[in-house]
Amino acid sequence: MKGKMSRKDKLFLYSLLPFGGIILALFILLFKTLAENSLPIFLREGIHFILSNEWKPSETNPSLEYYGILSPIVGTIYTSLIALIIALPLSIALTIFINEFLPYNVKDLFINLVEIMAGLPTVIYGLWGAFVLAPILRDYVMLPIHRYLWFIPFFSCNPLSPLTIFTAGVILAIMITPFITSIIREAYENIPLTYREAILSLGATSYEYVKIMLSMIKPAVIAAILLGFGRAAGETIAVSMTIGNSFSLTTCLFAPGYTISSLIANQFGNAGFYHYMMNALYGAGLILLLVGVVLNTIGLYVLGRWRKQFEEF
Amino acid sequence: MKSSSKRFVLDKLFKYIVITLSIIALTPLFLIIASIIVNGGNTLLEAGISFLYNLPPSPLSTSIGGIGPSLIGTLLLATTTIVIGLPLAFFTAVLAVEYPDSIIGRLVGVLTRSFVEIPTILIGVLIYTLMVIPMGRFSALAGAFALAIVALPYMYTYVERALSSIPWTYREAAYGLGLDKFKALIHVFIGIARRGIVAGILIGLAKASGETAPLLFTIGGSKYTYFRGLDQPIDSIPLLIYEFAQTPYEIYHRVAWGAALVLLLIYLVLFITLRAFVKRVEL
Repeated sequence: MKGKMSRKDKLFLYSLLPFGGIILALFILLFKTLAENSLPIFLREGIHFILSNEWKPSETNPSLEYYGILSPIVGTIYTSLIALIIALPLSIALTIFINEFLPYNVKDLFINLVEIMAGLPTVIYGLWGAFVLAPILRDYVMLPIHRYLWFIPFFSCNPLSPLTIFTAGVILAIMITPFITSIIREAYENIPLTYREAILSLGATSYEYVKIMLSMIKPAVIAAILLGFGRAAGETIAVSMTIGNSFSLTTCLFAPGYTISSLIANQFGNAGFYHYMMNALYGAGLILLLVGVVLNTIGLYVLGRWRKQFEEF
Repeated sequence: MKSSSKRFVLDKLFKYIVITLSIIALTPLFLIIASIIVNGGNTLLEAGISFLYNLPPSPLSTSIGGIGPSLIGTLLLATTTIVIGLPLAFFTAVLAVEYPDSIIGRLVGVLTRSFVEIPTILIGVLIYTLMVIPMGRFSALAGAFALAIVALPYMYTYVERALSSIPWTYREAAYGLGLDKFKALIHVFIGIARRGIVAGILIGLAKASGETAPLLFTIGGSKYTYFRGLDQPIDSIPLLIYEFAQTPYEIYHRVAWGAALVLLLIYLVLFITLRAFVKRVEL
């Protein structure tokens, strides 16, 4: 193929290269910008930047400034985990419901609903989450749980404000459910017909049928978990509108918190007044990017390998 | 007999659980749309059609005003995003589809797709560093660049799919006429893939009018002035909702709900149009 390329085709390829170059450059620039600008904070604070939880800006004396982002890191993990724990069963159920229980002509409608939900502007989730969902969650979920299960550390604090780590986790769950559903559903649909026929011919009930079908797409479910976690960890707007934005390092889910992305959203605008805060936020962004890249690479790798396995049929 | 009745009960139970969980999963969508129609409709009814072109209220004013500058800003940002992003998405897709054996073709395909995974707030930070600081101010142009990067992988996916699904017979026919790749693309392939390209434009518009995070540090959010140039600050509806919702003022909250209804309508119109062009929509 390569040898046969005519002069004109080669010329065309060369004229396309700048566009490829832009993509490559954007990618490198993102890493370079974050790494370069966060270098001062890593040199100054080292590993404590990640392991301590202090956010001490000082306008007059830069040597007093100290930034540790443990609380946003923990908040990111907490909110994403809550989101996954809620979203995964819902997504699996929704997949089965759409693919197995619905007649063909209604199926399309539900697929569209899931896609509308997946693409809804995130600020709409945030607005609804802050004004409608949060008060309901506090009165009917968080307060009762706290009253009866206060001895469990996760539920130990009184939900004084409706905007908490838990609220953000629930909003994220609602947001990533359609995303995870579409990954799992695609895999589910790709199971070869011969397998389906084989299971059904054994006289399986629909429960047994689905159980076997799900066991076949396990890698896709794992990939969906990783990609869903990455999506949840990177989401900014809806989270910063519902999490309460406060630097509290607590195991309790009913306290306001921070995530890395909501920290950047909230503090970046006025970070210029301080000497090191900007660097700290670039550092936080770099960590977010690296975590996302690792999770997504593994997720896509698992998904890709699974797809290949079925392509042979 | 006993084991078969156990199987039967388990099967029934399973069905109920699946249906219940599915209802729970989809309920938020209806609740969200309902509360936006109720709250936003309330605002729009009181403000009337002038909500679309008036200026926002001051915190203590009694009339709701409107979101004129933000609406214009959203439309302008969306257009500029397409102008910047579509050529990039289109030619990268051509590169990946027409030269799949070259290293650069393959690399570009993988990289462009992976842009989806970058948290959009970091795109905002990147453009802030690369454009806002050197230019010395927030601008519509910076926002459009940020949005173009966010929309890029989506636009790319649709164009790439359209180009790569062109049947081989058409390719053979085009090459058989002695056309080189460039001429075949211009005269034959674009015509066949035009639906995919329109879908790419629509997805870009949808993304550009709904995103908030990339705009936080790029457009400056000037809510009280109409468009003054691409190098000047601008506002968009999602940013207005985000900022107004976080103020303590009741009247700002009402404007935010009204704006959310307008945004929802824009989004749904784009979604339905897009659905008419492609079977599967990936937002």
